[in-house]
Amino acid sequence: MSIATLLKFNLRYYRRHSLLSLLCLMGISLGVGVVVAVELINDSALASLAQSVDLLAGKATHSIVSGYGRIEDRLFAEVWKNRSIQSASPIIEAMAVTLETGDEPLQFIGIDPFLDAEFRKLTPRDWTTAQLTEFVAGEIPSAYLSQELIRKYHLGIGATLTVLTAGIEKKVRILDGIPPRTEKGLGENMAIMDISAAQEVFGRQGYLDRIDIISGANVHDLVRSLPESLKLTDANSRKSALNAMLYSFQLNLAAMSLLALFVGIFLIYNFSMFSVLSRREDMSLLLILGSDRRGLVGAFLAESLLFGAAGSLIGILFGFLVAWLSIDKVSSTISELYFYVKAQEVHLTIRVALSGLGIGFLATLLGTGLPAFEVAVTPPVLGMKRQSIEDRAHNLKGLLLAAGFVCFAAALTAAWASRFSIFWGFASAFGMTLAFALFTPSILSPFTHYGGMGLKRIFGSLEGFLAARTIRASLSRTSIAVAALAVALSMTMAVDMMIYSFRNSVTQWLEGSLQGDLYISPATTKWDHPLPESLIAALNVDPNVEAVERYATYDIFLDGKPVKLRVVDGSVLEQHSRFHFLKGGKGAWDALKAGGVFISESLSYRFGKDVGQSAQLTTPEGQSSFPIVSVIRDYSSDQGTFHIDRAVYERIWKDHRVQSAALFLKPGASVDAVRRSIVAQFSGLDRTIASNTRMKEDILTIFDKTFATTATLKGVSLLVALLGVATALMAILLERAREMTVLGYLGLTPTEMGKMNVFQALIMGLAAFCISVVCGLILTYILIYAINYRSFGWSVDVHVNPWVFVKTLLLTGAACLASAFYPTYKLTRTAVVGAMHEE
Amino acid sequence: MASLIRLEKVSKCYHSGEAAEVYPLREVDLEIYHGERIVLLGKSGSGKSTFLNLVGGVDIPSSGRVFFEDLNITSLSAGELAQYRRKEVGFVFQAFNLFPTLTVGENLMLPLDLLGISDERKARATLDAVGLEGQWTKFPEQLSGGEQQRVAIARALVKEPRLILADEPTGNLDVETGNLILALIDEACRERSATLIMVTHSSEALWLADRKFRLRSGKLVKEAGGPTFNFSTS
Repeated sequence: MSIATLLKFNLRYYRRHSLLSLLCLMGISLGVGVVVAVELINDSALASLAQSVDLLAGKATHSIVSGYGRIEDRLFAEVWKNRSIQSASPIIEAMAVTLETGDEPLQFIGIDPFLDAEFRKLTPRDWTTAQLTEFVAGEIPSAYLSQELIRKYHLGIGATLTVLTAGIEKKVRILDGIPPRTEKGLGENMAIMDISAAQEVFGRQGYLDRIDIISGANVHDLVRSLPESLKLTDANSRKSALNAMLYSFQLNLAAMSLLALFVGIFLIYNFSMFSVLSRREDMSLLLILGSDRRGLVGAFLAESLLFGAAGSLIGILFGFLVAWLSIDKVSSTISELYFYVKAQEVHLTIRVALSGLGIGFLATLLGTGLPAFEVAVTPPVLGMKRQSIEDRAHNLKGLLLAAGFVCFAAALTAAWASRFSIFWGFASAFGMTLAFALFTPSILSPFTHYGGMGLKRIFGSLEGFLAARTIRASLSRTSIAVAALAVALSMTMAVDMMIYSFRNSVTQWLEGSLQGDLYISPATTKWDHPLPESLIAALNVDPNVEAVERYATYDIFLDGKPVKLRVVDGSVLEQHSRFHFLKGGKGAWDALKAGGVFISESLSYRFGKDVGQSAQLTTPEGQSSFPIVSVIRDYSSDQGTFHIDRAVYERIWKDHRVQSAALFLKPGASVDAVRRSIVAQFSGLDRTIASNTRMKEDILTIFDKTFATTATLKGVSLLVALLGVATALMAILLERAREMTVLGYLGLTPTEMGKMNVFQALIMGLAAFCISVVCGLILTYILIYAINYRSFGWSVDVHVNPWVFVKTLLLTGAACLASAFYPTYKLTRTAVVGAMHEE
Repeated sequence: MASLIRLEKVSKCYHSGEAAEVYPLREVDLEIYHGERIVLLGKSGSGKSTFLNLVGGVDIPSSGRVFFEDLNITSLSAGELAQYRRKEVGFVFQAFNLFPTLTVGENLMLPLDLLGISDERKARATLDAVGLEGQWTKFPEQLSGGEQQRVAIARALVKEPRLILADEPTGNLDVETGNLILALIDEACRERSATLIMVTHSSEALWLADRKFRLRSGKLVKEAGGPTFNFSTS
């Protein structure tokens, strides 16, 4: 018999079981779709980033940047004189929001229009003298805005834009739109200013952010001739540095999407196995009639390829749609946490489409191949006996249990090995879920046996008893559905518990490190907007203020990688905060004031730095060595943070800027009164002055936003798992139709049959929940100690939240009831004799 | 004598294909009395099982009425029909239809559980009565075909129904075992004064019939072989 004939034979099966086929197709599509969506989102964010870096680089071959975040104006002349450099253009880059455009930040680029003309066409070539004069020397600073921005917010040419820096309003006149050809690819939130105007608006007088150059000579000569505090970089290395910052974020997204696929594979396997095994008798009959085994397996594999292709294609489209709908949200999360990125378009590339197809095919082949092979090697006479399938499943329990223990041990080993690579952390999590999936048949069998007896004896529920026994009777099928649900639930619980623990640890950290009564302009530390010096002076003499803590945070480099340098008033914090010292707590503040630095544990983990060692930092005076005196808990940046005392910083860096301030009020002083008095003196600060409570709330809101995408992916995994339960219930209905009919003959009413079906769903859900409680707790520790710590370098104290269990149990119950709805409806509507006829 | 089952102009029609209608039963009238044993003969597909389904309240006629004593079972809801089957009817099938996941004892207890009776002693006694002492904890697959059918008969009898419907009960058994099963059914019905309607396509079971009928083209035709009871058929 040819494969084509066998394939036709098989495909008719799908037509007969269209709903079941649809559920499985949805499972493949969801699993593939989530992976594709995450890949597309990651690609889109990176592509948008790369495009904007490339376009902004223009013809620049390299950029000169500072090792400590800014370049003094005077150094430009030195660079300009360098013979290896053909052209140079000084740049200021700043992010800020405006009153007219709301919360969406604008990217301001400050350029010298004459020097920059050789690099890119950000300003019009044919501008009039009046325009040029206004751009470089207008009474108020002016800017060219992207045409898209002008259109979107109905901004008029010549109108004024109110830029907020540290809450203070700065006026900028809109000169015109950026030339359309230049604008393409730059993003819609772009504003071009003259460099001196930009320095003035953003408080960077005397500094540059970078110098773009066109170098015609040997790069090595150029590097040698630069001052020690400057370093040479190019567009590619800037992209790599930005990509590296996103690595952990993207890794976590990818891991969550793989979880959905992992659960999806169970579903596909469940359905494929059902579809193969329910035709087991037909296959055995065909073998008896003389068909060859290879042809039969070939037909099933061809069928799975067709099914996998259909599911994958739908999944790719679904993934594209999800990516398209969520790209904005992910972009804003990245912007909130790392750097500004505005990904607007999602492009389905051949690579992503092929990876989606590959994953779908692989999962379906795995699902179909194993059971088809099993049938093909079974003697046809045994294959004709329905019970032999379940006998085999029961016999396999021991083997699966042993395999589960092997996986369990391997997962623990991988957790230990995660110190070498994050890959082992993920391997540990997946190994552990696989171990519990393999334990499932051995747990489910006694669970349903004794559970069924308990339901009958204690609650007198015959339906419950029969339901439990039916689950046990279809162990080959039900254990896979329960395993899939248990995997999804345990991951859900573990992720919830990890987030809860993380949130608690962050809250405790905030309690310790943020003890000020009022905070001014905390948001600007992200964008480097200095507070007016007059404000700091006024605060220092305010009779209600006991102490002012002055913060500033700068992007610097350590071993060529970006880290943060946080400038703090050691003497103020010593009195008014409770830092969580992980190492070197004794005498830490004195050591800080004496010129030492605190490092965050993420920096310690990433760079292998510890107390007693020193860190080489770039200063205006060249490389300087700072002794590391403490390792502290700090969740503000996963790149790693140095804390340095302000007095030390100002002495070495010659920089007195303050980006935000914490006010510690005298006993009895009214927070509201002080707030009002500051706002009265400095209008605009009311936007950025926050009480301690609001400050903490704002930080926790950002925290919650960070995990919003994780929650969505978690939800999809759960949905895929529930499709598995629904498929298993449908499969039981089809397979056990004869027994259902006999029950009907014995006098079971349609309602009682429906109840029995609901019991089946609930018992399966309860079994999955019980397994997932144990698995979820172990996974919580793996996520916190082997993945989170290795990804971000943040240690988190485990906090067990009983509500997570209650919530998951309720969710499972509700979801199982939902998945049982259609099969129950169908069952209660099918006449006894109808079932007999179908059978 | 009052009838236990009464069929009045009962027809059953199935739609086969696009337009064709098949009538396994066409305007059948029949009265069956308490304690009577009826054997229904006919070729495969002649409508014998349809007849049993209608009497057993598993299916409803396309037209006509079926009475159990004075109860018109054709007017009952699905739930009420289930209650009727639960209390009054015991089924014996050709393929035994025991639940493979339940032990012999649990299979026997099932009809009693459905009635809310937890009388294990009665179930054990019924099992003993069919000659299967000591098999209570075994699973059906551990028994021979004949033993499984004995369990199925015990399951039908344990709730002491007034009507036993047997659909080819010896169809899956060899002749010798089949005869033993028929004798068992005969004895059990006599002892309990239960009414028996047995469907078969072989003549092996004719000896236990008080009346014999053959289904031909949807019509019930009485076979020769002397009535013990008064009956009427048209």
